[in-house]
Amino acid sequence: MPFTAEFADELARIVGHQHLRLGPGELAPYSRDATPLFSAEPDAVVFPGDAEEVSAVLKLATEHSVPVVPRGAGSNLCAGTVPVDGGVVLVLTRLNRILEISDGELLARVEPGVTTNTLSEAAEKRGLRYVPDPGSRMVSTVGGNIATCAGGLRGLKYGVTRNYVLGLEAVLPTGEIIRTGGRLWKDVAGYDLTRLLTGSEGTLAVLTEATVALVPAPSGGGTGVAYFTSLEAACGAVAAIIESGVLPATLEFLDRKCVRAVEEFARLGLRTDAGALLLFGDDGPAEAVAENIDRIGKACVAEGALEVTLADDITSAEALLAARRCSLPALSRLGSLTILEDATVPRPRLAEMVGRIDDIAERHELRIATFGHAGDGNLHPTCVLDPGDTGAVERAHKAFGEIFTAAIELGGTITGEHGVGAAKLPYLLDRLGPEQVALLRRIKAAFDPASILNPGKLGS
Amino acid sequence: MSGVFDAEKLGRCISCGFCLPACPTYALTGDEAASPRGRITLMRALEEGRLDVTDPASLEQSSFCLGCRACEPVCPAGVEYGTLLEQWRDHQWQGAARPVLARWLMALVSRAWLLRLQGLVRGHARGKGEPRGAALLLGCVERGLYPEVSRAARELRGELAAPSGQGCCGALHAHNGDSRTGGAMAALVGARLPGVIVTTAGGCAAHLAAHLGRERVKEFSEYLAEHEVVPSGEVRVAGRRARVALQDSCHLRNALGVFAEPRALIGAVADYVELPGAAGCCGAAGTYSLLRKRDSMRVLAPKLDAIAEAEVDFVVAVNPGCLRQLRQGLKSRGSTVRAIHLAELLAMAQRDWTLSKRKGDA
Ligand SMILES: Cc1cc2nc3c(=O)[nH]c(=O)nc-3n(C[C@H](O)[C@H](O)[C@H](O)COP(=O)(O)OP(=O)(O)OC[C@H]3O[C@@H](n4cnc5c(N)ncnc54)[C@H](O)[C@@H]3O)c2cc1C
Ligand code: SF4
Ligand code: SF4
Repeated sequence: MPFTAEFADELARIVGHQHLRLGPGELAPYSRDATPLFSAEPDAVVFPGDAEEVSAVLKLATEHSVPVVPRGAGSNLCAGTVPVDGGVVLVLTRLNRILEISDGELLARVEPGVTTNTLSEAAEKRGLRYVPDPGSRMVSTVGGNIATCAGGLRGLKYGVTRNYVLGLEAVLPTGEIIRTGGRLWKDVAGYDLTRLLTGSEGTLAVLTEATVALVPAPSGGGTGVAYFTSLEAACGAVAAIIESGVLPATLEFLDRKCVRAVEEFARLGLRTDAGALLLFGDDGPAEAVAENIDRIGKACVAEGALEVTLADDITSAEALLAARRCSLPALSRLGSLTILEDATVPRPRLAEMVGRIDDIAERHELRIATFGHAGDGNLHPTCVLDPGDTGAVERAHKAFGEIFTAAIELGGTITGEHGVGAAKLPYLLDRLGPEQVALLRRIKAAFDPASILNPGKLGS
Repeated sequence: MSGVFDAEKLGRCISCGFCLPACPTYALTGDEAASPRGRITLMRALEEGRLDVTDPASLEQSSFCLGCRACEPVCPAGVEYGTLLEQWRDHQWQGAARPVLARWLMALVSRAWLLRLQGLVRGHARGKGEPRGAALLLGCVERGLYPEVSRAARELRGELAAPSGQGCCGALHAHNGDSRTGGAMAALVGARLPGVIVTTAGGCAAHLAAHLGRERVKEFSEYLAEHEVVPSGEVRVAGRRARVALQDSCHLRNALGVFAEPRALIGAVADYVELPGAAGCCGAAGTYSLLRKRDSMRVLAPKLDAIAEAEVDFVVAVNPGCLRQLRQGLKSRGSTVRAIHLAELLAMAQRDWTLSKRKGDA
């Protein structure tokens, strides 16, 4: 894959010299994202200013067979933006405008580089809500969220990013600019390319604009915490809560190690002696919320919760949610290499999966803490180790392989929200089977004949 | 491994990117290289020898960074970015790589007799006799530019001794690639002023606290709060209580966690107005506003907009660099808002100060 000086000159002609980076110190920061243990340097970094420039860059890359890796905020945890084959990193942070918010149609039209939080706040000011709520919302971009089909803390009741994408503007690797879907909730003309591109992890097209659905902001909300003796007990309570007929907006769990780490950072007065914590929340009309929260609390007590406390104002509820969002980095205080993984099992198998993870950790003599979205069956087993201990790093790789196998065996999957990227690619065949992987490759080839877009990831 | 950086501190960062939204230079550029995480990746490349000490991009980033440390309180992994930045500059800003102006200023402030002379000429506060418990630090910049600040501080708290010949705390050195001298200067100040040191400059407070220990260093508002001092009077403008906003000092807020105290004190003597983004850097950042004027102004611009929108009478700063930055910015926009130091505002209140008419009012 030749990256030449002439190619660089062409890039400069397209985006302008000030938006092209070629020096070693300019490229190094783009050698990695939030994924540990993955790193590779690009040959160039470009910051396009609009879809036309994106189109010109991609067309040029296709002509010269140079890899292009789209990048939002680089907060993904699957090495999705690591340029494993070199080439060009295409950074979309300059495209960061909110183009439109339509109250009447309950939608927003945004450029991909807008951060999730910026969009949420803009919607909030209008009495609306952008529902997807990944833990990384302050950092991550809407484009990155759509490309990874990000989930989050409201997944149980509201689903993931996919449910909120109405239409996309996307640039194909060959340079054509397409518009899929649009402003309509109902539109079934043609294959659903909007859904195909959502979660395509930057391997089929570069998203340059998105139309996303908003909902009226709920009038009230409530949040609470229940402590249990063990994570298994907490998982048991999850089943009881759902069976009690409530569908909470938020149902998150943290094991003992996570609670301690989070408390250390956020100092919220969490009980660090408990074996696990369930964080639950609901939103909607105040009365309904109060009733649901009460029912969840009772279900927890009936399942043997040590203690249930409710957040009595929005600030303390927000603090609890914020604490949950920082579980990963807070855990990293325990050791400087922190490998967070992402596996999902059907909700009734949650407790079993937690048990298996514990066994695997013990067998490999590893420190694995687990937190996640209990309501979705989405777990984040997180291994904390010392990077100098190569033996432990080896064992961690083995352990995670076993964890993914266990998830598949229990009817689950190898990633619930972080995506496949380069990190999970080796496990994809196990999950999808050869026929489907072959189909994925044919789809990839139809979009990207020269195979330039984010090689080494999905479709490779 | 080249041993430039403290390995444990550099290893803390897990590249989660939580610091990105807090960083003013990332906000300006959207460039990973101009973010705390990107800069740490650069430091690692330097440490591992993958990047040369003369690399222009690395030099540029070490200077583009404001050193505001807004990335620290938001980092859940507890990365001590400020220390890493000092180590980075120690490594990169040697010889000709250090800006001429910085070299000149560093030479100036390391001469105690020059500082003393300058202070005498400008008439900073003087307190005879032995320090009774606490000593007032006469910041090197403040002595030259704003001697009225130390005078106001003494007016408010007569018990603060202000011996001259105390020297400079060395923050300027530490932030410009010579942290060894910066540390030695802090130790010297510590020896010359035994006991608690009170300072009216957020930058000096953070630097001194890092070297002498947190207990020995009190920023002025913190000192007042600890002694439960509440000024008796109030500041009025055109017959009503003045509307007053605060610009946090980055180092005070991000390194020492002091931000509630100045707000409470302002609220005691005037109507406190919270500016959106008050916690964000104003772009002064020590010598930054001199060395990188254009970027410094880009960082300041949204703040000036916010001040204009807030319709305040005063903007209070708790650090001389920020004061200078705000004054210049407000002046360039022809604003009638006055930027003053917290000590001055409180002294005004003590004198039951009333501004009868605002410039421009009918
Ligand atoms: C602490 C922490 C918490 C997190 N919590 C969650 C969570 O709760 N739920 C969740 O789902 N994820 C979570 N993540 C993972 C991550 O934040 C998400 O995957 C997020 O969607 C990535 O957005 P980004 O803008 O950083 O994209 P990037 O990391 O830059 O890119 C991600 C992928 O999308 C592609 N891409 C980016 N922009 C475009 C575009 N415009 N067009 C085409 N392709 C593009 C990239 O090529 C890459 O493959 C978390 C991460 C961290 C560090
Ligand atoms: S928030 Fe802290 S750990 Fe995360 S990238 Fe920034 S410095 Fe590193
Ligand atoms: S010190 Fe300030 S400017 Fe420098 S990286 Fe941290 S937040 Fe950004």
